[in-house]
Amino acid sequence: MTTTLPGRPTLSQNLSAALAEAQLRFTNISRYPGQLLTNIVIPIVFAAMPILLGRATGGASAEANFAANTGSGNFVGYLLIGSCVFQFVSSTFFLVANWLRFEQETGTLEAVYLTPTSSATLLGGVVLYSTVRSLLPALIAYVVGCLVFGLNPLDGNLALALVFIAAGLIPLAGMSMLFGAVVLRVKEANALLNLMQWVVSFLMGIFFPVAVMPPLLQFVAWLFPPTWMTNGVRSALLGVGYFFGAWYLDLAVLWVFMFLAPLLGWWVFRRTEQGIQRNEGVGQF
Amino acid sequence: MLGQVTVEALTKTYLTRQRQGLFKSTEKAVPALRGVSLEIRPGELFGLLGPNGAGKTTLIKCLTTLLLPTGGRAWINGHELTQADNAIRATTGCMLMGERGLYWKLTARENLVFFGALYHLDPAARRRRADELIEQLGLGEIADRAVESYSSGQRMKLAFAKALINDAPLLILDEPTNTLDVPSARELRAVVRDLNQQGKTVIYTTHIMAEAETLCDRVAIVDHGEVLALGTVPELKASLRREAVVKVEGVISTKATHAVEQLPGVSNVATTLNGHTTLTVVSQETHAALLPRLIETLTAHQAVIQKIAPEEPTLEDVFIARTGRTLADDTRVK
Repeated sequence: MTTTLPGRPTLSQNLSAALAEAQLRFTNISRYPGQLLTNIVIPIVFAAMPILLGRATGGASAEANFAANTGSGNFVGYLLIGSCVFQFVSSTFFLVANWLRFEQETGTLEAVYLTPTSSATLLGGVVLYSTVRSLLPALIAYVVGCLVFGLNPLDGNLALALVFIAAGLIPLAGMSMLFGAVVLRVKEANALLNLMQWVVSFLMGIFFPVAVMPPLLQFVAWLFPPTWMTNGVRSALLGVGYFFGAWYLDLAVLWVFMFLAPLLGWWVFRRTEQGIQRNEGVGQF
Repeated sequence: MLGQVTVEALTKTYLTRQRQGLFKSTEKAVPALRGVSLEIRPGELFGLLGPNGAGKTTLIKCLTTLLLPTGGRAWINGHELTQADNAIRATTGCMLMGERGLYWKLTARENLVFFGALYHLDPAARRRRADELIEQLGLGEIADRAVESYSSGQRMKLAFAKALINDAPLLILDEPTNTLDVPSARELRAVVRDLNQQGKTVIYTTHIMAEAETLCDRVAIVDHGEVLALGTVPELKASLRREAVVKVEGVISTKATHAVEQLPGVSNVATTLNGHTTLTVVSQETHAALLPRLIETLTAHQAVIQKIAPEEPTLEDVFIARTGRTLADDTRVK
């Protein structure tokens, strides 16, 4: 039989372990099919409330009023995109944080830390799963939502919108690690997740343009990568206007986040992990 | 030459927060290991025996790289702790948290294949090894059912199989027979013995005296984070040869027990309550000198003696002599 060679695993062994970690989670979620359906339905219902409110209060001039403030009269598309990107972002955060907390409670976190697979590889697998698991329902929700509200889901520059989403994935993964480190330290996922959902939705401008925020909050929102991703997608699909006037400039900002966020996220996660290893251990909850 | 496991003056101190009212708390250092030193030889079945909270699990967690020790050094399979943790994990099979540590929504086979991947076995080897272990531990009938549907004993068996997935030369088993019924515990011990005979070194922690006595080549008695005694079971018993051990059963008041403790030569008295009182008295004097004084003291304090007998020392007596406590309640033989 194959025996394990001590020492550093090869890149392909690490990839294989990360894929196994992601596959484990897909196998697990396949036993809860209702959850996937919920992930698709929630953003549509979430967007439906302000859409219907807008139709009820704005009447015939709703689109013109909205266009005056956002640059696009398509408020239905605007709200639906906000809702779907929010679902994607918050679900990614949730899955990474929940991975740590849930496995800490069930004892499996300690079990995987006993293996020679590094926590970076494990985290890689979890982030891969969380991204795919969050992105696919969000995309499906957008298409279904467009059909429900009478929009053409193929309108706008779809390719550019996907580029913004792809560029936003890596900073999001980095932020998820940062958030995971906080959960690992304070051992409290639910309260943090509840708080985080409000902060995330507010900062990324789920139902409104960031420009209507007070200046200080606008500054904070611009430090938040999902804000750039959401605005990029809205600009590509609805033409609401890029923060810096051109798509490539906004994309460049996301590229900067793409380097900074994972480095910061991993650094904080590793420091937290080492601190815990020095004292109570990852299994303590 | 280093043993399979060499531990030198290992210490571990936890920092805990002492709550003082609603908002105030102070930091408190709790020593869990106080300079543990031991050497485990290749191919040995080594027992760590001690009550809950003795420091066994902390020691094991340090040796398996889950916890960083506060001081001291250790080498596991030739790799120095904190310097080559990855190599230590790759060459060690662990069963630490019993039936916890398994994915309950997955099947036994899926769990084993997954952990095989984390030990960097290639996909074909993972499946082959999972099949071998399922066969070896008789998990065939339940291998493709979700773990959540298993009995506690079946889950323990699977957790044990998980510890074998990387076929490591060193096995670390932390109370592996907990929650197992009598036949399953016996079966698991037989597999452990078998693996040991095939050349695997085993560290086996338990608080069950009989288990340590029958299974282990050498035993370390651990309490309050220290190794109090270390040797083969006969060696440990021989260390009490100069001491007399007497067991007394009956209705014995606390006052009478205290009086026995004051007798000259008595080094330890452990009490067990099982409907009646059982005193285990360890004395530096001979049986002949101890027995009359013991009977006299007990009767003077209105004790009703139902049975009194000198005993050959057991591992439990060694434990009592070293710690002043008994593990009788935890020594049910499975």
